Amino acid sequence: MTTQSLAEDREIRRITFSHKLNRWDMKVSPYLYISPFFILFILTGLFPLLYTAYVSVFDWHIIGGQGDFAGAGNFEWVLGQDKFWVALRNSFSIFLISAIPQVILALIIAAILDQNLRAKTFWRMGVLVPYVVAPVAVALIFSNMFGDQYGLVNNALGRIGIDPVGWHSQVLPSHFAIATMVNFRWTGYNALIFLAAMQAVPRDYYEAAMLDGANRIRQFFSITIPSLRPTLIFVIITSTIGGLQIFDEPRMYDTTGAGGASSQWLTITMYIYNLGFGPAGGGQFGRAAAAAWLLFLIIIVVGLINLAATRTIATSGSRSSK
Amino acid sequence: MTATTERPAPLNPARPPAPAYKTSRRAKRHAQAIATNKPSTLGYVFLVVVILASLFPLYWSFLIGSGDSSTINRQDVDWMPGGNFLSNAAKVVNDPSVNFWKALSNSIIVSTVVSASVVFFSTLAGYAFAKLKFRGSKGLLVFVIATMAVPTQLGIVPLFIAMSQWLGLSGNILAVILPALVSAFGVFWMTQYLSQTLPDELIEAARVDGASMIRTFWHVGVPAARPAAAMLALFIFIATWTNFFWPFIILDSNNPTLPVALSLLQNNFFIDYSIVLAGVLLSTIPLLILFVVAGKQLVSGIMQGAVKG
Amino acid sequence: MSKSRRTTAVAAIAGAAAFALLAAGCSSSATPGADDEVTELTLATFNDFGYTDEMLAEYTELTGIKIVHNKAATSGDARTNYFTKLGAGSGLADVEAVEIDWFAELLQYSDKLYDLSNDEVADRWVQWKTDAATDADGRLIAYGTDIGPQAICYRSDLFAGAGLPTDREEVAAMIDGDWDTYFAAGDEFVANSDAAWFDSSGAILQGILNQEEETLESTDGEIIATTNPVVEDAYNTVLDASPELSAHLSQWSDDWSAGFANGAFATMLCPSWMLGVIEGNAPEVEGWDVANVFPNGGGNWGGSYLTVPAQSEKAEAAKAFADWLTDPEQQLKAFVSTGNFPSQTSLYEAEELLTVTRPFFNEAPTGEIFSDRSAAIEVAPYKSVNYFPVMDALQNAITRVDVDKTQDADASWDQFVTDVEAIG
Repeated sequence: MTTQSLAEDREIRRITFSHKLNRWDMKVSPYLYISPFFILFILTGLFPLLYTAYVSVFDWHIIGGQGDFAGAGNFEWVLGQDKFWVALRNSFSIFLISAIPQVILALIIAAILDQNLRAKTFWRMGVLVPYVVAPVAVALIFSNMFGDQYGLVNNALGRIGIDPVGWHSQVLPSHFAIATMVNFRWTGYNALIFLAAMQAVPRDYYEAAMLDGANRIRQFFSITIPSLRPTLIFVIITSTIGGLQIFDEPRMYDTTGAGGASSQWLTITMYIYNLGFGPAGGGQFGRAAAAAWLLFLIIIVVGLINLAATRTIATSGSRSSK
Repeated sequence: MTATTERPAPLNPARPPAPAYKTSRRAKRHAQAIATNKPSTLGYVFLVVVILASLFPLYWSFLIGSGDSSTINRQDVDWMPGGNFLSNAAKVVNDPSVNFWKALSNSIIVSTVVSASVVFFSTLAGYAFAKLKFRGSKGLLVFVIATMAVPTQLGIVPLFIAMSQWLGLSGNILAVILPALVSAFGVFWMTQYLSQTLPDELIEAARVDGASMIRTFWHVGVPAARPAAAMLALFIFIATWTNFFWPFIILDSNNPTLPVALSLLQNNFFIDYSIVLAGVLLSTIPLLILFVVAGKQLVSGIMQGAVKG
Repeated sequence: MSKSRRTTAVAAIAGAAAFALLAAGCSSSATPGADDEVTELTLATFNDFGYTDEMLAEYTELTGIKIVHNKAATSGDARTNYFTKLGAGSGLADVEAVEIDWFAELLQYSDKLYDLSNDEVADRWVQWKTDAATDADGRLIAYGTDIGPQAICYRSDLFAGAGLPTDREEVAAMIDGDWDTYFAAGDEFVANSDAAWFDSSGAILQGILNQEEETLESTDGEIIATTNPVVEDAYNTVLDASPELSAHLSQWSDDWSAGFANGAFATMLCPSWMLGVIEGNAPEVEGWDVANVFPNGGGNWGGSYLTVPAQSEKAEAAKAFADWLTDPEQQLKAFVSTGNFPSQTSLYEAEELLTVTRPFFNEAPTGEIFSDRSAAIEVAPYKSVNYFPVMDALQNAITRVDVDKTQDADASWDQFVTDVEAIG
C-alpha cells in the first residue's frame, strides 16, 4: 500500500507541477501577447496623445511655446467660435452623406464578390484600385472634375441641359463632391473587409436555408448579416471615427486648404489643423489641442450611438430567423 | 415527403418548404445557380459598373499624364491618350530634385517593414483579446479603440520632439518606421475577425490535446487569421506607401519616401499636371504589382482546414 | 540708430542669441558662432530660388564648405515645416528661406532668429525690403532675395478683337493713370468682347491695398481693418467694378488655371514671378504681352528672404553663406534662370538685367519693364503679425461676393467684421 501511495504521490506531484505551469501559461500568456503592442504604443502613440492633452490647458503658441495656465479657457474659446460649429456641421454632413451609402454599397459589393465569380482575383482587386491611388491625386482629379466653371461634371451636365452646379461655391454640393471622393476611396476597402468576414461564414448555413426555400435576399438578411456582427461593428466604428475625422480629401479640394470662403467644406479636423498650423491665424496650439479633445469626446458619443444601433440591427436579423 | 425531426425548421412558417421535385426548367436553373453560388447577370452588370467607376479616375490620370501641361485645362476632352506618357515618366524619374530611385527603395523598405510588424503584433494582440479571457481585456480593448478617436494632426510636434531630439533620428527612415510599427486599427480588426471566425471549440480541442498557449496560437490562431492578416498587410502597406505628412516633416528631400519626392514636382507658381500625374501613376505601379501577388492570397481565403478540421 | 548704440545692441543680442541657443538644448561641442570646423551647411528653400547645384558647387570651391540643399515644393509646406521645427527647438536648416506672407508672423519671434546685421550689406537692397526684415529691436534678421514688382500683362489678340490698341507702348499709355483709368479701359473692352477684363477681384484688392501705408494694421500693431476708410473704399471700389469686369475666378484654383487656356480674361496684375505661371498654364496661347504700366505707378506682390535660425550651431558660417547667396552676382544668375526679380538695387543698372527679354510674351523686355516698375514703388504697406489673417478674411469676403456669389457686398462685409473680431 505504501509503494502504491508513494507512486501515486509522485504522479500527483508531477501532474501538479505541469498543471501549475499550464495555469501560469494560461494566466500570463494573454498579457504577454498584448504587451508588445502596448509597449510600442505607449512609446509612439500615447506620448503624442498626452502631450496634446497637456497643451490644451495652456496658452500655447507653436513657436512661442508654453504660456500661462489657461484651464478650461481654450475649450471655452473654441466652443464660442462660429467656425467650430460650422466645421462640426460640415463634418457631420459629409459623414452622413458618405458613410451610409458607403457601408450599404460595400455590403452589396461584398455579397456579390462572395459568390462564385469567374476571374475572382480581377474583380476583388479591381474594387480596391481606388484605395491605391494616392489621396493627393484623387483630390486633384475630383476637384478638377467638380470645377465650378470648367469642370468635367458641369460640362457633362450642361450637355444634357442642366445648369452648372456650384460644386465649390455652395455648401451641400461641395459636401456631395467630397463625399463622392471619400466613397470612391473607401468603398472597395470596406467591401473587402466584409468579404473576408463573409468568406468565413460556413456554407452549411446557406445550404440549409436553400433547402428551406429561402432566396438569396432572405439568406443575406437572415444569415449573412447576423454572422457578420463583429465585422459590422468594426466597419461602423472605424467608419464613424474615420468619417468624422476626414481631412485629406476636403483639404485638397482647393489649393488653399481653408475649406472655402464661407467655410463651406471646412471639416473639424481641418479647423483643428488650421488653428494649429494654418497660415492665416494659425499657431494657436493650445486652442487647437482643446478642439482636438472636444472632437474626441464627440466621436466617442457618436461611436457609442452607432454601436448600439449596429448591435440592434445585427441581432434582430438573427432573431427573426428563429 | 415527410420531414424528419433533424431537419432545421423552415425559416418562414407561412411559406411551405419547396417541393422535392422542380416544376420548370427556369426553377431548375435557378436552383442550380443558388446551389453553385453563381451570381446572376444583374450581379455581373453591377460589378462591371463598380469597376468602371473605380478605374475611371485612374484612366483619367493616365490621359492627363500622357498629354502636356495644358491637357488638364482643355474643355474638349480627348478620350484617347496622348503619346507623352513615357517621356513624362522619364522626366519624373530623371528630375534632379526628385530622388526617384532612392525614394522608391525607401518606400519599399518602410512599407514592407511596417506592414509585417503591424500584422504580427496585431494578430498576437487580436488573438488575446478575442479568444483569451483575462482581467482587463474589455477595458483595454475599449481603450485601444478610443485612442483612434483622437485626431493625429497635432501629434506631429511631440512626435518630432521624440524622434528628432530624444532619439536623434532626423532624416533617417527609422523615424518613419518606428511610430508606425503598431496600429490600434490592426488590433481592432484582428480582434473582430477572430472573434467572429475562430470557434472556441477549436481552441478547446487543442488545449485538451495538451498544447501550450503558444502552440495553440501558432497552430490554430494563425491559420484562422490568415485571410484577415493578408488583408491587413495589404491595407497597411498601401497606407504607409501613400503617407505624406509625417515623412515630409521628419525626412528631407535628400532621403525621401515616394510621396515626399513626388511632391517636389509641384511648386507654388505653376503645376504641370501632366508630369505630376505621370509621377502619381509611376508610384501606383508597384502597388498594382503587389495586388497581383496578394490577390491570390485573398482569393484562397476560405479557411476550410482550420474551421472544419 | 547711432553706431555705438547699435554695437551695444548687437552685442547684447548676440549674447541673448547665444543664451537662447544653449537654452534650447541644442548644445554640442562647437560653441555657437565658431566656424573653424564647419565643413557642411544645410540650405532649405521652396519653389525655385534659382540656386542651382552648379552655383552651390561654386561656394564649395570658394570656402571648402559642402552645401546640402533641401527643397520643399510649396511655400505652405515650407511654412509648416519651419514653424513645427522652430517650436520643437531643432531640425531647421542652417539657412532657411521664408516668404513675405508668413515672415511677418515669424517676426514676432525674432529672438529665435540669428542677427544678420552687417554694415557692409546694409545698402544692398531696396529700403522697404530691408525695413520689413528689421525687427523691433533694430536687428536685421533676414536677407532679401527677390521681390515682385507688378506690371500689367495683357492678351493682345483679345484686345485686337475688341478694337483696342495692341502695341505695348500704346497699351501702357491707355492704362496709365490710376485705378479708375484701368477700369475705364476695362469698360471699353468688355463692351466689345465676351471675355472679362481681369481674372480675379481678390488680386485687384491686394493691388490697391499694397499701395497704401497703413491698411489693415496701424503702425502700433492694432487691427484697424474694419474701421479704416482706406480698406472699406478699396473693398467697395473692387466690388463695384467686378460684376462687369471680373472673370469671377479665384486665383490658384483649378478654374483659374483653366481660364488662361480658355481666354476668360484679357489682363491681369503681373508681378515678375507670374510670367512663368501664365506661360505654363496656357502654352498654346500666342497673344500674351507685358505692358510697362501699373495703376498709380507700381506695387509689390510677394518676395522672399533668407534667415538663419538661432538654433543653428553654425550661425556665423550660415550668415556668411546667406550673404554670398544674396550677393548681386548670385542673385543675377538666379534671375536669369528663374525670372525671379532681384531685390538688389545695384542690379537695376546692370546690363545683363536690362537686356533680358521673354520670348513667350512677344519678346517683351521684362528686365527693363520690371526695373521701371520697381523704381515706381513708393510705398510698402505696414504688415505685422495679424496682417495675413485679416487679409485672408478680407479676401474671403470678396470671394463670397465675386466668385461664390453667396452673399452681397454689405452682408459679406458684416461677416468680415465678425471674422476679424475672432482674430488676435
